[in-house]
Amino acid sequence: MTRSLPITAPEADDPPTPPVESRARRRARRVTARPVAGMLFVLPFFLVVVTFLVVPLGYAFWLSLSSKSLALGTRFSGLDNYVRAFTDPVLLDGLLRVVLFGLVQIPIMLGIALAGALVLDAVTTKFAMAFRLIAFMPYAVPAVVGALMWGFLYSRTFGPFADLPTLVGGDPIDFFSVSLLLVSLGNIVTWAWTGYNMIILYSALQGVPREVHEAAVIDGATPVQVALRVKVPAIKQAISLAAIFTVIGTMQFFTEPQIMARFAPQISAGYTPNLYAYNQAFAYSDFHYSAAVSFALGFLVFVVAYAFVFVNNRRRGKRA
Amino acid sequence: MLGTTWLAKLRGGLAACGLLAVAACGGAGDDDGPVTVSVWAWYPEFKGVVEAFNASHPDIKVEWTNAGTGADHYAKLKTAITAGKGAPDVAMVEFQQIPTFVILDALADMGEHGANEDEGLYAEWAWEQATDGDKVYAIPVDGGPMAFMYRKDLFDQHGIPVPATWAEYAEAAVKIKAVDPNAHIASFGSDGGWLNGLMWQSGCRPYGYSHTTAKDQVKIDLTAPECKRVVDLHGDLVDKGLMAKDPFFTADATAALDSGKYWTWAAAGWTPGYLAGSLKNTAGKWAVAPMPQWTAGADEQGDWGGSTFTVTKQAKNPKAATTVARELFGRSAAAWDIGLDKAFLYPLVKDVAADPAFTGKAYDFFNGQKVNEIFVPVSEKLGDFQFTPFQDFVYGELNDRSAEALSGSRSWDTVLEETQKNVVAYAEQQGFKVSR
Repeated sequence: MTRSLPITAPEADDPPTPPVESRARRRARRVTARPVAGMLFVLPFFLVVVTFLVVPLGYAFWLSLSSKSLALGTRFSGLDNYVRAFTDPVLLDGLLRVVLFGLVQIPIMLGIALAGALVLDAVTTKFAMAFRLIAFMPYAVPAVVGALMWGFLYSRTFGPFADLPTLVGGDPIDFFSVSLLLVSLGNIVTWAWTGYNMIILYSALQGVPREVHEAAVIDGATPVQVALRVKVPAIKQAISLAAIFTVIGTMQFFTEPQIMARFAPQISAGYTPNLYAYNQAFAYSDFHYSAAVSFALGFLVFVVAYAFVFVNNRRRGKRA
Repeated sequence: MLGTTWLAKLRGGLAACGLLAVAACGGAGDDDGPVTVSVWAWYPEFKGVVEAFNASHPDIKVEWTNAGTGADHYAKLKTAITAGKGAPDVAMVEFQQIPTFVILDALADMGEHGANEDEGLYAEWAWEQATDGDKVYAIPVDGGPMAFMYRKDLFDQHGIPVPATWAEYAEAAVKIKAVDPNAHIASFGSDGGWLNGLMWQSGCRPYGYSHTTAKDQVKIDLTAPECKRVVDLHGDLVDKGLMAKDPFFTADATAALDSGKYWTWAAAGWTPGYLAGSLKNTAGKWAVAPMPQWTAGADEQGDWGGSTFTVTKQAKNPKAATTVARELFGRSAAAWDIGLDKAFLYPLVKDVAADPAFTGKAYDFFNGQKVNEIFVPVSEKLGDFQFTPFQDFVYGELNDRSAEALSGSRSWDTVLEETQKNVVAYAEQQGFKVSR
């Protein structure tokens, strides 16, 4: 909007011949009208952003700066809530749990998604089309429904999997036991999101020029070599995008543990940081601390995502 | 259906009210049309109760919303209270939650609108929990006096005596395992409310709080011997594989109850209603006995759950809202017909509980046993029991710590120690002076 000003300045210096002047005046009018029109176009978006993003964030931040103790009431406490959050063993345990979960689950999920996308890209039968749809389907199932469904599939009474080891004389599997709980949750998340990531990566593969593959094949590359040395490097951008989204999603891990807690009492109030923030607000009525936990978590997610992008860019820069 | 004695009297009384001035019976509101009172409640079959109320109160119109059960309902209620608007005029609140909502300054004192008159109407323990001095924060509706449900057919068939003491309970657990290696005497459900009920029955009084006398002082004593022996006994049975680990109210736990995998459940006055709907295979094979005692011949009792109606401070017309809270169940024979026969509430109105139509009611689910003959004396025996103003946190701790013990990552004898430690730390962080 402000950039249009230097354009008008030289125009005004033009020799004042009548037709030019009128054109200039016309243009000047248009130029002054442009910011208003532009603002009008931006306004709805701006209003939505302010109403649904800036104001709630500001309110939450303001909430996080005071403390409410049940006995003493509410008082301004500055950054006390943040000090408490970053030294809260329950929150830190939850954070550690989510990080460990991500370190295992994210590579597995993206690995499967990438392999699936490469296979889909290489195969062009009708089966591939059907498979694309099937792989994407879990993403269309709401997370709550997916978690409930897996809760039943894991059940010792109703599920098909728990008793499998008994067929060969082993003990039934307890999917809700502490040692298996993260694996069980990881399976649900992988089930729900692999197809989604696969489609993102597959779309990126579609954008890689066919000539490149053909050149590689003419040079004598095997299909596996084409996939790993040509296709994968070509879609690095898409892979890192999928990875960032997944990292952010993992840090916000909530729905699956929240639903699974009905089946697995081992899922405690602070099992994941997001669950902890939820319980602080809606079970323990501490909206202030909940806001601080949420903000601290948001900050961490931002830092992690930014660090990821930064490292990624640097590595790419170095290689180029 | 309960058309006997006191209900008949009550109906007569209500009719008389109609003839006399509305004001004399606690009717409220302005003269221009009926006052609308919003109610959040999750009782099953509540629609009929609301209709009965509206039909008998031309000056008040109840608008009912089911805002979800338990945690969902409270999450919405706490949000509305914090926001300062959006809460209903009348809200259903369970007994253990009353101090929490009192300290959040969410509940109006119904004593200001004459609710103290109702004291004699309700079981004393319930009235005690619903009130603080002459402040009436809640009107009791239903309770959960605990008793021992067991598979009578299996106990009879294998000649195992029904345990009268907790020591016999542990012996029965061994015998059941010997008879059927896949069976358990019961499940340890890691449910804070249930564990609390068992501790209550053991004579344990872990909490003390009065908002009127000292609103920043709280007593927490979860490690008293009466509390510990409950966890020790059950924890030992779990460790020996004699007690199962399924959380209550899950499909697995219900299936286990319905397949002979669990033989008993130390449960509450509302469980028969809950079970009758979901246990189709074993209906008619269950019976109810009094709770096993810690000392032979003793008569200690406990309660698990129960709910009330409260008036929120956001109520636009607290007087009309108080009338709704007091009369939805408290003074309505029609409501109790529904509450007892369809919603299976255990009534805290003394006259309803003592009415032969209730005590003498035979349940098909219990093969014709008149189980209320057991539940009613339990409710009458219940004495003073207080809760903390942060009971959600306490139950959360009890759940989480016993879940750790169930999974083997904590020894049972540290469950209550750790809970005590964490609850005290939380209470101090919340500004309370904590005593034992």
